[in-house]
Amino acid sequence: MSNVLRPYLAAVRSTLTAALTLEDFASQVVERHNKPEVEVGQSKEVLLNPLVISRNENERVLIEPSVNSIRLSIKIKQADEIERILCHKFTRFMMQRAESFVVLRRKPVKGYDISFLITNNHTDTMLKHKIVDFIIQFMEEVDKEISEMKLSLNARARVVAESYLSAFNS
Amino acid sequence: MSLLAPIICDNGTGFSKVGFAGNSDPSFVFPTAIATRGPAAQPSRSGPAVPPRPGHLASKRGVEDLDFFIGDEALANAQTPGYGVNYPIRHGQIENWDYMERYWEQTIFKYLRAEPEDHYFLLTEPPINPPENREQTAEIFFESFNIKGLYIAVQAVLALAASWSSNRVTDRTLTGTVIDSGDGVTHVIPCAEGYVIGSAIKHIPIAGRDISQFVLNLMRERGELATVPSEDHLKVAGRVKESYSYVCQDIVKEFRKYDAEPYKYFERYDGEHAATGRKYSLDVGYERFLAPEIFFNPEIYSSDFLTPLPEIVDGVIQQSPIDVRRGLYKNIVLSGGSTMFQHFGQRLKRDLKQIVDRRLDASSTANGSQLRSSGVEVDVISHKRQRYAVWFGGSLLASLPEFYSSCHTKAQYDEVGPSICRRYQIFGSAT
Amino acid sequence: MILLESHNYIIQTTLAEKAIKPSSLDVQFVDFDGVRFRLSTPERKTSLLLSMNIRCWDELVNYGVHDILVREYGGLVKVQPEPEYNVSLEIDLDQIPPEGEQRDAFIKSISLLKRNALAAPFERGFREQKQLEQAGSGQGELMALHYRDEEVIYVQASPDRVTVIFSTVFREETDRIFGKVFLQEFVDARRLPNIQSAPQVLYTTRDPPLEIRHLPGLTDSEDIGYVTFVLFPRHFANPTVAESTISHIQLFRDYLHYHIKCSKAYMHSRMRHRVSEFQKVLNRAKTEAASVDRKTASGRSMSTFSR
Repeated sequence: MSNVLRPYLAAVRSTLTAALTLEDFASQVVERHNKPEVEVGQSKEVLLNPLVISRNENERVLIEPSVNSIRLSIKIKQADEIERILCHKFTRFMMQRAESFVVLRRKPVKGYDISFLITNNHTDTMLKHKIVDFIIQFMEEVDKEISEMKLSLNARARVVAESYLSAFNS
Repeated sequence: MSLLAPIICDNGTGFSKVGFAGNSDPSFVFPTAIATRGPAAQPSRSGPAVPPRPGHLASKRGVEDLDFFIGDEALANAQTPGYGVNYPIRHGQIENWDYMERYWEQTIFKYLRAEPEDHYFLLTEPPINPPENREQTAEIFFESFNIKGLYIAVQAVLALAASWSSNRVTDRTLTGTVIDSGDGVTHVIPCAEGYVIGSAIKHIPIAGRDISQFVLNLMRERGELATVPSEDHLKVAGRVKESYSYVCQDIVKEFRKYDAEPYKYFERYDGEHAATGRKYSLDVGYERFLAPEIFFNPEIYSSDFLTPLPEIVDGVIQQSPIDVRRGLYKNIVLSGGSTMFQHFGQRLKRDLKQIVDRRLDASSTANGSQLRSSGVEVDVISHKRQRYAVWFGGSLLASLPEFYSSCHTKAQYDEVGPSICRRYQIFGSAT
Repeated sequence: MILLESHNYIIQTTLAEKAIKPSSLDVQFVDFDGVRFRLSTPERKTSLLLSMNIRCWDELVNYGVHDILVREYGGLVKVQPEPEYNVSLEIDLDQIPPEGEQRDAFIKSISLLKRNALAAPFERGFREQKQLEQAGSGQGELMALHYRDEEVIYVQASPDRVTVIFSTVFREETDRIFGKVFLQEFVDARRLPNIQSAPQVLYTTRDPPLEIRHLPGLTDSEDIGYVTFVLFPRHFANPTVAESTISHIQLFRDYLHYHIKCSKAYMHSRMRHRVSEFQKVLNRAKTEAASVDRKTASGRSMSTFSR
């Protein structure tokens, strides 16, 4: 992890840890329902102030806490067209498998690339600090993965071009 | 619509059948095997060998994942140092998606030489395949290969469609019982109007491989194999099974016939040792009719599976909803290489008819013979295309004009996403 | 498999099989770039008819495809091709060479039918270049080959070179971006010392190269790109080299698209791996085996299918 990235992740980590104070909370609107309030958004009084942690204009995290759920959305760095398409592919691939990632949202919040929804059920059955670890690790590795994919694409393209052109020599 | 024929890809556990719609036989039949660099068949489905460690030299080259062989070439390269053979499909379902994706890649570009962007594809899946698998398949075909359109059909339904080629079939129905017997396992699958009745499916652990083994045992006991080199034993048994075996109507009579006139019924098999070229020959006797008999009297081969095939078929139909049972009895369709024995259909029909009639008699005696049943029609359809019935059924359906409207197109996929492939329109249905 | 082969696998395997054991047959299949084949035995089992339909046949005829086919296949070419097809070869299985190398070579040459047909404009371009070189100036005819719906190959001879231009269209966004990366590498790769002698490659998006700028009906859109190969006389100095150059350059588009698809497949493998790694990290957060093994009435366990 580069030194520049560290404060950013540290900020996300502490904010997220602080925000993950969730409790069981029945819906005030529909009887016998229990919904993630941050998604429903009908009872303003249980929503807390959303917060954006921004590293630069291309990378930011939006944390929207509420009484029984918290939504975290990440905007991943995309320097150029290739990174944009790779990032899009990767996040889509992951969201396609959202059912095995219990905290992953199937669709990102508008303006972001990927969103997570953590409810009080998740914090009850899982270790809170480990969930935070997961998010942080995801953020760390997704950048790395995308730049690696880009590198490998370039490397591959080079090999492909070389093999094609060197066949003219024979 | 597109001028280019749709591609039919039937990837089975043992063999893949691929080709173009409209043909009567697949263009390629080869093992569903892939030989890659690295150790064979990783025991777990842990991460693929593909993504190397960052900074690793090999990843800089970036094309080591193109170094592989599929099909017969994979088996031929099994001995090459550095390569390991993997079977991406187990029990009909895709286990290793990385291998499967590359397997398809080479099938399309090396063997079929088709530009996937110009073609529609018809793929097959086993009954009760989880919808997630369909989604993954669609993801590969639409995103990696950009195919024009995709249809995923259940193998049993295609086998039913294949029976339309038989001249005994008058109405083109997708209701019937499919007996699909390949190399590894035999399935009995009831289908009602194009939908598989999943709860009633039965599997029989007797199939081609067991028949070969049984033939081998018989010949070994008789001492026929003494002159045959041991590595050829299974091959010879397989040949004998394919070329000489048939289903008899009555074992006892058949034994008597053979004993009375052995010269008329015994056959001679000539072979040659592949490596040394040494010639050998042996007598083929009772195994001619005993081999397929293990479907009807499994006790002669196995000690843990004892239910004869006709009884299984009857059980499957009895477990299906009552309103389709007549249709299921009337249209029993055979598919797969191990149903190719002569008279297999007739024997199955006779045995099954007996079971059904016995039950009807019993019930009419029980209710005091007041009402007589009009009887249940039992029919087993054998046809010429049995061996690759599933593939042929696909070829048949994909050459219908309505195939294109039943497919999900690339545009629809881009609009909706992989979940679009959870549902496919059944041929001939209204919606 | 990095490079694609030029011969058709189905023709090769089917012929080899039928040469040993003739039987009646009627199959249709395809090759890259929308070429359709039909292999049948219309009269008797030993007389095979191989017909090919190729989109740009009329253009090929102008560029002298007949001469090439007659040169390659001699009397096998039927005067009247099968309806719906452009060219038919009649192969008499009784007349083919005996088993062994000769037969393999014969079968191989038949399976190169598409390659040989598409060679016409290139061969003609090479010939024109020789003439122009002697004349010292002038330009050869600009030969266009509409080999796909939206894509064209242009071949033009000059006194010192033959220019081959491919117009490329990517139907999909990902392909377009991947394609750009690949094509850029084609342009850059020539700087490497070991492939200095390869043809020069130029790549432009949107703006057509000078040679074809005057042509009417060029689509002007963001998705379209032009790849120019400059073939120097050394690339077709002798027949063997010329032949391999032609086989090779014909498959450029298919090669490119094949590799774009392979890289997407590779990306999928990577992503699968990465996603399963993330999965493990998340699973570490789970306190204990929260899921109890649920059983159905008949005693089967209700575990979901795992992937």
